[in-house]
Amino acid sequence: MDKVADFRNDLAVALRIALLRIRGQMQYRASFWMQIVGNFFVNIAEVLVTWSLFQHFDNLGGWSLEEVILLHGLAMVTFSLGDTLSNGVQSVPQMIREGTFDRNLVRPMSVYLQSVVSEVSARHFGHLTQGVLLLGIGLATAPIEWSVGRIAYLPVIILSGTAFFTALFTVEAIFAFWTVNGVEAVNAFTYGGSDLGQYPLHIFRRGLRLIFLWLVPIGFMTYYPALYLLDRADPLGLPRAASFVAPLAALLFCLVIRFGWRAALRRYTSTGS
Amino acid sequence: MRLYLELARTSFQQQFAYRAATLAGLFTNSIFGVMIASIFIAFYRSQGNDTVASWTPDQTVTLIWINQSLLMTVFIWGWWEVTRSIQSGAIVSELLKPFDYFSYWLSRDLGRAVAHFLLRGIPTFTVGAIFFDLLRPAGVAAAFGFLGSVTLAVMISFCLRFLSNLAGFWVLDHRGVSMMYVAIFNFFSGMLAPLDFLPDTVQTIARFLPFQAVLMVPNEIYLGRMPIWQGLGVQAIWIVLLTLLVKRILRAGEQKLVVQGG
Repeated sequence: MDKVADFRNDLAVALRIALLRIRGQMQYRASFWMQIVGNFFVNIAEVLVTWSLFQHFDNLGGWSLEEVILLHGLAMVTFSLGDTLSNGVQSVPQMIREGTFDRNLVRPMSVYLQSVVSEVSARHFGHLTQGVLLLGIGLATAPIEWSVGRIAYLPVIILSGTAFFTALFTVEAIFAFWTVNGVEAVNAFTYGGSDLGQYPLHIFRRGLRLIFLWLVPIGFMTYYPALYLLDRADPLGLPRAASFVAPLAALLFCLVIRFGWRAALRRYTSTGS
Repeated sequence: MRLYLELARTSFQQQFAYRAATLAGLFTNSIFGVMIASIFIAFYRSQGNDTVASWTPDQTVTLIWINQSLLMTVFIWGWWEVTRSIQSGAIVSELLKPFDYFSYWLSRDLGRAVAHFLLRGIPTFTVGAIFFDLLRPAGVAAAFGFLGSVTLAVMISFCLRFLSNLAGFWVLDHRGVSMMYVAIFNFFSGMLAPLDFLPDTVQTIARFLPFQAVLMVPNEIYLGRMPIWQGLGVQAIWIVLLTLLVKRILRAGEQKLVVQGG
């Protein structure tokens, strides 16, 4: 069998495992719905605060509420899709500590895919639902001059962002192969990054902008594509092409992470027993 | 009493063992502090840096940094020891031990809070003071009032956490409860923005809930926006009410408790 067929096979198995896991969670019905609703409200709280602030303030760095909502939507949809896809990978550090990671290495299936489906959590649907709602509101109310280009680019933005966040959430797992201490710092980039991606990049200080554009390219996933959708000039002075870098930046980022993941696997020695 | 002091002391010392984690946490809190403060500064700029909803730009930015600094001290998220011991059944032997179950965890939590105040609170606030113009306490009394208020805030936060943990007697999976709790807390505590920025009805509701006593009250005392005794008084009332509630629910939970296996 060639590699492509192998991968397709793995994917089918992974999908079945994922569905089983969700069915398992639905057995605890109260908790299942509380998680979804809770997850929906965690982020609603943040959006309500943003809305309240706009009742007191005129604009945010020149952006209106509708435009900021559009950014919120873009960041939330891509973040929650990436978060859902990588939920199992996020539990790799725990598997390493407990020594249960080893079994993933001996099964005839991609180690990464196995990690992905080792934990599938329904709670993310709450976040995703809300992201989709916000994105819808943003797209409908923000001043966008729709064109073929803009319509065609929208799915590209979502796919790139999803790939980017999935890769970003893998970073913590990669670190865990070396050290279990200090992985909390990764939160600054994942949760911090998605929060930052919800606001116009130019309101932040230079240091933050450099980190979240050139090291962790969240700025290229939400802010710059939004500039194109809204037909806004870039106050930071990058060329117009910066709005279309998203797929390329996501691809590059994924390749770097893939390299890191492989290096981590090669290095892995079990915790024993 | 000696037992509880000893418990607090060991839990205090434990925190000093995680050096890398402390640095990582400081980094994360600082990034969030810089981010949220920058958002408010940009908002204020659209209004010519005027006072908005009775808050000056400096006061708001100071609140943001105090919140980030207190986050670990009041330890809002991620404490599920009691739920876990309900799930594992260990709670049975813990309840049999010759000490008060609630006081046992409270004294451990107070020890932890002091350590987190020193290790996480002060360093985070220092980072904030380096990058932003943060206000000093409104006076010597306000400074001491603030310390007292933070202590009471830890106790309130502990009661709230303990309560949500007790849900474990009735709900098997705590993740749902945990999500709801974070959502409610974030919204009503003043964690994301001073409560005065929220719609009037929300503010009124928030004033009758214990969450604002965890973050808003210490902030208002620090900034001299609230009489010290009023703030401490409100917090004290909440501690009494919540403690009574915890004890009641704990008793109800014990009645309900069924442990599988021997």
